[in-house]
Amino acid sequence: MKKLLISKKTKGILGAIAFPIVFIAFWQLFILAGFPSARFLPSPYKVLQKFVILFSDPTYSHNIAVSLQRVMIGFFIGTLAGFIFGLLMGLSKTAEKIFAPFFHAVRQVPMIGWIPLIIMLFGMNELPRVLIISVAAFYPITLNTFSGVRNVPREYLELASVYGYKGLTLIRKIIIPAALPSIATGISLGLAMSWSVLMVAEIFIQTAFGIGTQIQRGRDRFDIALVIAGIITVGVLGYSMTLLVQKIVKAVERGQVISADK
Amino acid sequence: MSNNKGTLEIRNLSKSFIVDNSPLQILNNINLTVTSGSFVSIVGSSGCGKTTLLRIILGLENHYDGEALMDGKQIVGPGTNRGIVFQDHRLLPWLTVGENVAFGLDKLNRKEKKLLVDEHLQLVGLIGFESVYPSQLSGGMAQRVAIARALANKPEMLLLDEPLGALDALTRMYMQKELERLWQLEKITMIMVTHDIEEAIYLSDKVVIMSSRPGIIKQIIDVSSSRPRDRASSEFMQIKAEILEEFHLGTEYTFAYAI
Ligand SMILES: Nc1ncnc2c1ncn2[C@@H]1O[C@H](COP(=O)(O)OP(=O)(O)O)[C@@H](O)[C@H]1O
Ligand SMILES: [Mg+2]
Repeated sequence: MKKLLISKKTKGILGAIAFPIVFIAFWQLFILAGFPSARFLPSPYKVLQKFVILFSDPTYSHNIAVSLQRVMIGFFIGTLAGFIFGLLMGLSKTAEKIFAPFFHAVRQVPMIGWIPLIIMLFGMNELPRVLIISVAAFYPITLNTFSGVRNVPREYLELASVYGYKGLTLIRKIIIPAALPSIATGISLGLAMSWSVLMVAEIFIQTAFGIGTQIQRGRDRFDIALVIAGIITVGVLGYSMTLLVQKIVKAVERGQVISADK
Repeated sequence: MSNNKGTLEIRNLSKSFIVDNSPLQILNNINLTVTSGSFVSIVGSSGCGKTTLLRIILGLENHYDGEALMDGKQIVGPGTNRGIVFQDHRLLPWLTVGENVAFGLDKLNRKEKKLLVDEHLQLVGLIGFESVYPSQLSGGMAQRVAIARALANKPEMLLLDEPLGALDALTRMYMQKELERLWQLEKITMIMVTHDIEEAIYLSDKVVIMSSRPGIIKQIIDVSSSRPRDRASSEFMQIKAEILEEFHLGTEYTFAYAI
């Protein structure tokens, strides 16, 4: 059996772009076939042309910058609040009893369900947009911090008590490091959630700038290529940021993982 | 540190756990005296309460009947005069070897810490490993780090709960020698729980034999032969036979089964 010698990395990249290529091919075929339902669908080439135009348009990069900033601020607030809240509920059974039912009930309401109320309370402002993004990140980070703290191995807590660790030192030296892998999972999920509600925040709470605004504008002008370009932009940006955060998390965790049962 | 510190006196100690809403007696009327600087082993089948007894001495179990006195004072909680080596090395995976050894030295400054860490890594033969993570160590090395961590606090008594139980036979014999060397060097009291009768005889001044349901002390055997001990000597074999007899595993029985 002869096989082409390809490095692992090249294989990985080929694997990652294979599907998008097939997808684009089908997209093109679909249009060439002339289905009536594809009447309004622009060709991949049209979307590419749109990107070329966008890249030379300063509004596009400004939209990206505004959306990025929005996500970052919301995600940061949500992470901080979720970490503190999850830690509190994880440490104290009383706090869990008081807050957990409320938290789980509120969590059932999808973000879009909050929009009318938030708009009535805050108006069409930046604050509610950022707020929605932070709340979306808040849920998974709270849950994962909570379970990480609750599942710190009893053996580690015992070891800490043998050496007289209490209070803040115990939290800092044992509980947070032991819960870190779980907290990191929460942060990754939180970031993904922030990106997925960004569109909700920008389209439903109208604003002058942002990728969501661009998509909405595309819809108003019946410029489907512009809408698709916006969707692709969100996907690529969100995915890149998730990869970046995962890299950071891995670096933080290095030397940790395994070995607890060795 | 031979200042008569590190003595233990256990009087009429009984301990029950609540299991399914009713008390289940685990230890029944334990009496044991451990003198300063001696090496005592506790052997017994699993579940007979050896770990529970060690946890009481360590101060992790506080509800029991009877008395447990360390240097004449009632034990009420963990303290720096007692160190522990658990069966699972229990090193913290996010800390390096050096940081793990320094774990109990939180109150000291950086310089004092480094001094003690170096001293104790040297003691267990792991100098140069301070920035390695526990996941990179073999079982024997990890257990040596755990011993260094316990000794760095300068305890007067070291408690060891089946410290070599997870090691292969050869590493185990090597570590027994190491333990003996450390014990002679540090001149502290050591109390070790073990499953291995030879290990107990090789290391101990006293072998405490426990039996179960509820856990009682069945017999305490003094071993006074000179060190280092020869596992093949007739004296050694005789003590081993005596202990096996206590577990009803004496030669008569095996002989009976052979027929
Ligand atoms: N916290 C606990 N609650 C209830 N039962 C316990 C607890 N700790 C130990 N036991 C029981 O006590 C008995 C003795 O346990 P242990 O001291 O660990 O035995 P050994 O170390 O000799 O194997 C076992 O039957 C065990 O199930
Ligand atoms: Mg045990």
